[in-house]
This record gives sequence, C-alpha cells and structure tokens, in this order.
Amino acid sequence: MTGTTRRALIAAAALGALLTTGACNVDSGGTTPSGAASSDPSGGTAGTAKALKVGWSTIYLAPSWMQQTLKMLEEDVARLKGEGKVASYETFNANGDTSQQIAQIQAMIQQKYDVILVDAGSSTALNPVLEQAVAQGITVANFDSLVTSDKVIRVGTDQVEWGKMTAQWLADKLGGKGEIIAMNGPAGVAVSEERWKGAEEVFKKYPDIKISANVHSEYNLAPAAQAFASAYSAHPNITGVFSQGGALSAAALQTLVKQDKKLVPITGENYNGFLKMWADKRKEGFSSLSTAQPNYLSVIALEAAVAKIGGTAVPMDITVPLPKITDDNLDQYAKQDQPDDSYPIQPIPQSEIDKLIGK
Amino acid sequence: MRNRLETAVRLSGRAARGNLDLVGLCGLLVVVLVVYQRLDPTLLEPATITILSAQFLPLILAAVGQTIVMLTGGIDLSLGAVLSLGMAVFVINTADGTMSVVTAMVIALAVTVLAGAANGALVAYAGLPPIIVTLAASFLWGGVTLIVLPQPGGHVPTGLVRAYNLGWYGLALPAIAIAVALVLWKVVKTTRFGLTLYAVGGNEHGAFANGVNTRRVKIVAYGLAGLFTGLAGIGLAIQTGSGDPTIGTPYTLNSIAAAVLGGISFFGGIGQMRGTLLGALLLGLLTNLLLFTGISTFYQMILQGVVLVAAVAVKTLATRERVA
Repeated sequence: MTGTTRRALIAAAALGALLTTGACNVDSGGTTPSGAASSDPSGGTAGTAKALKVGWSTIYLAPSWMQQTLKMLEEDVARLKGEGKVASYETFNANGDTSQQIAQIQAMIQQKYDVILVDAGSSTALNPVLEQAVAQGITVANFDSLVTSDKVIRVGTDQVEWGKMTAQWLADKLGGKGEIIAMNGPAGVAVSEERWKGAEEVFKKYPDIKISANVHSEYNLAPAAQAFASAYSAHPNITGVFSQGGALSAAALQTLVKQDKKLVPITGENYNGFLKMWADKRKEGFSSLSTAQPNYLSVIALEAAVAKIGGTAVPMDITVPLPKITDDNLDQYAKQDQPDDSYPIQPIPQSEIDKLIGK
Repeated sequence: MRNRLETAVRLSGRAARGNLDLVGLCGLLVVVLVVYQRLDPTLLEPATITILSAQFLPLILAAVGQTIVMLTGGIDLSLGAVLSLGMAVFVINTADGTMSVVTAMVIALAVTVLAGAANGALVAYAGLPPIIVTLAASFLWGGVTLIVLPQPGGHVPTGLVRAYNLGWYGLALPAIAIAVALVLWKVVKTTRFGLTLYAVGGNEHGAFANGVNTRRVKIVAYGLAGLFTGLAGIGLAIQTGSGDPTIGTPYTLNSIAAAVLGGISFFGGIGQMRGTLLGALLLGLLTNLLLFTGISTFYQMILQGVVLVAAVAVKTLATRERVA
C-alpha cells in the first residue's frame, strides 16, 4: 500500500472526529435556545429576581439512590421553573472520578452558572474549586456527601448520629451484652468512617458487647453477602448485627434466613429489599431500627440556594433530621410493589423545608 | 555495541512511523482547540491556561509514567494506587506545618520511586507478567495508602494552593511543572538507559544478547515511572489542597488510554513521549469540551470510548499496511 492511502485514512479519521465534535456543537445549540424559550413565558410572571442557571455535579449517577434523587430534584426544578425562579438545569456525572468532578465544576464556573449543587466525591479535594466558585459570586450548595469547606451551604444528615442512634438501639435490644458482627462500608470513605465512629462511641459504653468481627464491604448486596457469610461462619454465635447500610443489612438478614438460623436484631437503612424482608420476618420476631439518607436533601439544597440568592439568611450548615423506621411504622416505608434496589422515603412537608432553610 | 543498539532502535522507531501518527494527532488537537476556543473564548488567557494545566497535570504525568512502563513491554495497573500513596505521604507531611514542602515532596517521591522499583523487581526477578504483578501491587499500595491516610484529609499550605491554581505573578505553575518533567524525560531518554529502555521493550532477548542488563533496566524503568506518578500525586494534592486515599484509581485506566491514544504500543519498544503528551491533552480537552456542549454524561462516556477505539484502529491499520 502506498503512503497516500495511509495519509488519506488518517485525514479521514481526523475529519470524522471533526464532524463528531461539530455534531455535538450543533446539538447543544439546538437544545439551549429551546430550553430558554420554554421557561420564558413563565419567567415573565416572576418578580424582580432573574431566573437562575442551575447545575448539579454528582460523583455518581447510576446507583438507584442517585436516580431517585435526580428524579426528586428534577420535579422541584420543574416547579421552580413554573414559578420563574429557575431558567435552566443540567446534570453532570463524574462517574466516580473526583478529578473529573473538579473539571466539571470549573466548566460550570466558566459558563457562569448561578447555582452549583454538588454531591461530592471527596470530602476535601473539591474545597479549592468550590471556594473559587463562591469567590466568583456563585451560590454553591453541597448535599449528601459533604465537603469540609465552610464557605458553601452544606445540607446533610449527621452521619455520626446515624451510627450512634442505630448502635444505641442495638445495645438496648441486646440488654447491654452479647456478641455482634459490625458491617461497615468501604475503608477510607468518609461516610462509612463517620457512621462507625458514632457506633463505636456507643459500644465503648458496653464492655459486655463483644464485636467479634468488623467487616468492610461495598454498599452492595452481592459483595456484602459474601463478606457477611464468611464472618458469620467464623462467629456463628452472634446475638446481633450492627449494619450501617441497607444493602449490608439485607445481606446479613438474607444469609440468616437462607441458612435457617436464629434471626438476630440487625440495624439498617431504608433499602427496600431489606424493608420487605423485615416486614416479612417481623412476625417471626425479627426486629430492626432503620434510618435513611433522605433523597430530599437535594431539594432542600436547591431551595436553600434559591432562597439565599433571593435574600433569605440561609444557614450555612443545614442538618436534616434522620428518619426513624421502627417495627411500628415499617408498613409506611416498605413498598412491596417496588424493586429491592429502591429507597422508599416519606416526603418532607414544605413547611419543614422552609424551617430548615431559615425562611 | 552502542551503535548496533542505536541502529536497532532507529529501525524500530522508523517502523512505528511515529511522526506520521503524530501529525494526525496534532491535527485532531488543533480541531479540538479551535472548537474549544469557540465555546470558551477565554481559552488562551493566562487564567484559563493555569486552570487547565492544573487540571491536566496529574493525567499528563501519570501517562508519562505509564508510557515508560509500556515501553518496556509492561503495563502498570498499580499506577492509581501509587499516585494516591504519593499524595497521602505528601499531605501528611505538609499537614503539621513543621516540615517544608520541598522535604515533604522528596519523601513522597522517594516512597513512590521505591514502590515503582519494587514492582519492577517483581517483574524482573520473579518473571511474572507485569499485568499480574501490578494488579496485586494495586491492592498492596492501596492498603498502604489507607494506613497512611485513613480518610480524606491532610493540608497543603493555602498560599501554595492559591498560587498553583490561580497563577503566581501571572505564571502558570502547573504548565511549568509539566514542561520541567518533560525536559527531565528528554534528558533521561538521551542517556544509555533511555536507549536500552526501547531496546528491552522492542526485543528483550536481543537486548540481553547484546549485553544489556535487562533486569536492571526494568527496575529503573518502573522506579522512574514511580517518580512521575509521585509527581502527579503531588500535583493533585496541591490542586485539591488535601489528600484523598482513593482519588487515584481512575488514573490507572486513563493513563493507559492517553498512552495508547498517543501511539504507545502494548508490546513495548514503540512510541514517543510527545505522542503521550498529545494523547493526554486530547483526552483532557475532549472531556472538557463535552462538558461545554451539555450532552448527557452517559453519551459523553460512549463518545470517549469511540474516539479511543477509532484512534487505536486507525493506528493499527496504518502500521499494518506499512508492514505489508
């Protein structure tokens, strides 16, 4: 073959790339004006405030919790668009790459977003870029996975309290003595470390509760089931399980059920798979206390940012109370008709949101 | 002997026909830059250059490290873990403020060089495939990193973080750091070691028969890769003002992607560092470009995959025709 063919081939490839990028360009050109146009008529009804350009940068989008969060957020965006408070909304998924998330936030600064919502991939690594955004006059509201910077609005739950509350319930249930397995999230992840910190504080007060194994696992059913099964085979005489995540709890309970063993109390989270199993086994004496990382954190963050721009004195740290799911109110939460991998939650009243954001 | 080696290397270099590929990449880069400039007119302003170079530095330096390993015919799956390790060691030493930043850097780099050299020694002496050795090493160094820094934290002096991210008297420090690192590679490449690196990757038995200590070359190569990976980690620490024990993971595959896009062969001995630089810049700019276009991030991932496959396919086709 001749060199010309080769060169032609490479030129064609370059051209192809050019066309691809060109196509994206056209694509965005098409969507932006239509997006702006759709919000225009309602924008006219708004008061003096201009409609805002809002973006959400999230470290993950694929997990079902994130999908539910996105759905809730989009519903609230639609409502705020109707009120003329929000002009456009965009989601950015960093897909687990914190450096990518930094790039996204930088791109949002460059494109003059008014509100940046963030579910952070690292509790520290985003601080400089978020503070840069704040310095440029952008309102930054961080929710769920929080950063340590105090320059941004942070909407979250108290993860240490999460661990404390559920561990205290377990300790009481066990009458202050027994043997347990602790099921924690991945090592080095802030949420996991904080929940365990709270739990450990409680367990320290009960020297008769022996923690025979401390298991770290992804917050996923399959790896958690494996991890629990091996810990359980080494310690078959446990009288309880401290679990800090719903999938971890489901893994533990499922193992006990499968092996036809005594159903010991297991703490949990509003992971539907766990809630359904709990509802099913409640009559056999299984008991739990579960809590939730509510999806409406995203809505509170958005409304806090919009309120702040509107002149409300919004507190920088908004701690949303942890819901309590008990044997008594379980039926309000467990959704038999929904998939295991969903996180049922009771909606939060608007009055409660307004109180939290200082309205 | 040196002559024979040089001839061998020159021949394999010519076979790769590196320059022609690079022209294609350069063309693509120009296209991307032009589109970028249209979407973000501040592209060539010092502030934007500072921001972008701070953003690209970890990927570029990680890809340089990956390239060195790939030139020996290996691959480094522990790169992300070693990057996090360097970052962790650096931030815990700068955190208390008693140690100077330079000393902390030297310690962090010493650790990553040793980690790299350990990988190299396992590859060279145990005779295990690099993909297995470095996969195992990724767990090992990941664990060590979590011991050093159990959760995100540490602290880098605020003045340094500001100067690095926002410019220092108008100078883009990360861009300068990249330039210095590339000059360092240029110097290394002209040494006898640089020559033997290509020789070992191109034809290990031939190199050995010509009196090259192939084991030593591999250990030095992995160690050198550790140096660049450590620099990437330090850059990331200064960019983010802190350390995060799990932040490095995506860099393993991204660095391989950048090197492959830049024309570095999986079989060793073929490829040039400027190709890797172009590859890393293209990957970085393309990702940013897609952010500006506002298309769904899921499509962005697909598009990135397509670009990568297309680039590799074009290169393979071009090289194959040449051989025929």
